[in-house]
Amino acid sequence: MKLRLAVLWIAVGIPLAWGVFKTLQNAMKLFQ
Amino acid sequence: MSSTFFDRESTIAGPGFNRFMVPPAALAVHLCIGQAYAFSTFNLPLTKLIGLTQSAPGDWNLKELGWIFSIAIVFLGSSAAVFGRWVERVGPRKSMFVAALCFGGGFLVSAVGIHLHQLWIIYLGYGVLGGCGLGIGYISPVSTLIKWFPDRPGMATGMAIMGFGGGALIAAPLSVLLMANFKTATSNGVLETFVTMGVIYFMFMMIGVLSVRVPADDWKPSGWTAPAKPKQLVTTANVAVDQAWRTPQFWLLWVVLCMNVTAGIGVLGQASPMIQEMFPGKVTAPAAAGFVGLISLFNMIGRFFWASTSDYIGRRNTYMVFFLLGIVLYAAVPTTGHIGSTALFVAAFCVILSMYGGGFATIPAYLRDMFGTYQVGAIHGRLLTAWSVAGVLGPVLVNYIRQYQIDNGVPKAQAYSITMYIMCGLLLIGFLCNFAMRAVRANYYYHAPAAPQRAPA
Repeated sequence: MKLRLAVLWIAVGIPLAWGVFKTLQNAMKLFQ
Repeated sequence: MSSTFFDRESTIAGPGFNRFMVPPAALAVHLCIGQAYAFSTFNLPLTKLIGLTQSAPGDWNLKELGWIFSIAIVFLGSSAAVFGRWVERVGPRKSMFVAALCFGGGFLVSAVGIHLHQLWIIYLGYGVLGGCGLGIGYISPVSTLIKWFPDRPGMATGMAIMGFGGGALIAAPLSVLLMANFKTATSNGVLETFVTMGVIYFMFMMIGVLSVRVPADDWKPSGWTAPAKPKQLVTTANVAVDQAWRTPQFWLLWVVLCMNVTAGIGVLGQASPMIQEMFPGKVTAPAAAGFVGLISLFNMIGRFFWASTSDYIGRRNTYMVFFLLGIVLYAAVPTTGHIGSTALFVAAFCVILSMYGGGFATIPAYLRDMFGTYQVGAIHGRLLTAWSVAGVLGPVLVNYIRQYQIDNGVPKAQAYSITMYIMCGLLLIGFLCNFAMRAVRANYYYHAPAAPQRAPA
């Protein structure tokens, strides 16, 4: 159960983290 | 009759099931349907399907394409309202599956529209079919999450609805990446991107379909007991959806959501030109795009932060903060322009957009507090019609008032001042409705039919 829980959170966490990273990268232009 | 894999009975969790498996199932759906907020990424490429590098005669224009998103949002609200009771009845697995079929299918039908260069097929595909996927997908995990987390309903629904905000953060760079990858000498890659995204989103939503579970009727979190004396404005009774929308509380909440969304959505759509026009020469187009990204991020964070906070300070108080702080910040925005402080302007809108997202994420728990858990998903579905109305009202207010001001000789940098004060007025209406909120009267309560008594032997 713990492994399934970890896999599920990773499955949704990775794309979300990528989206946040790309957004922050883009947002940096505001402060340059 | 035996139950199939998609039926509610097949999704009842066994003993020892970890309830933290459910939020990622909900996120898997919301991260996909949140793509809707990033649909504008396709607008410019769709105007160059024939001309490729620039619009050619016969290519669609931005005005025609703008209807795709509007139709999708209208169908989001209407399908959530119409199918809410069905979603409650069949459970989250079947409804998430239908949402995946509609949303993924919407992309594939739209791809056919792009191939044949028939805009009405895209209206039907992404707008109608995809819009139904948005509405059904949006409400499908809400009531399940509230039942799994009776101790923290705000946090649980906030987590899922945060996914809707996060979906746009993923979809925007993903669409750009895919279009660049599929671009050839004869195609700008939009058709292939639509097909790919339709398949990806369908498969990703299936993660939610396969992993979602509902709790057994008598399930409670271990060590948790319902408070003996319920908090003010938190009911222990239930109200059925057909009764709920006859109560003044439903309509007060409808106005509360509508005002909160109207104030935020107009700004979100106009954020890039607004910051450039209010700070001419100081903010470039790429910096303005960065600003849009930043407020989208706060829109997402606010969903989790404010909904979780509402578990501690109460839903009514949370909305009081949204409206009062919102009025102060909107009123301060013109001043940030006059003094030329980009930093204060950006900070104000980051907080405003966090409260816009927070409004969406806190409303399911507010509904649970007022109407109980019995048909909260269906009631939520009907309340989302407020979003459809706000989706039209917000942009119209911002765009038309700005244009009216400019046409009357007001400099562009000052053309948003009146709009900001109108937003303050809308928030004041929301504040008064929230202030007027009282507990639902007992004559609206739902009483489950008594179990048939067994005749004595």
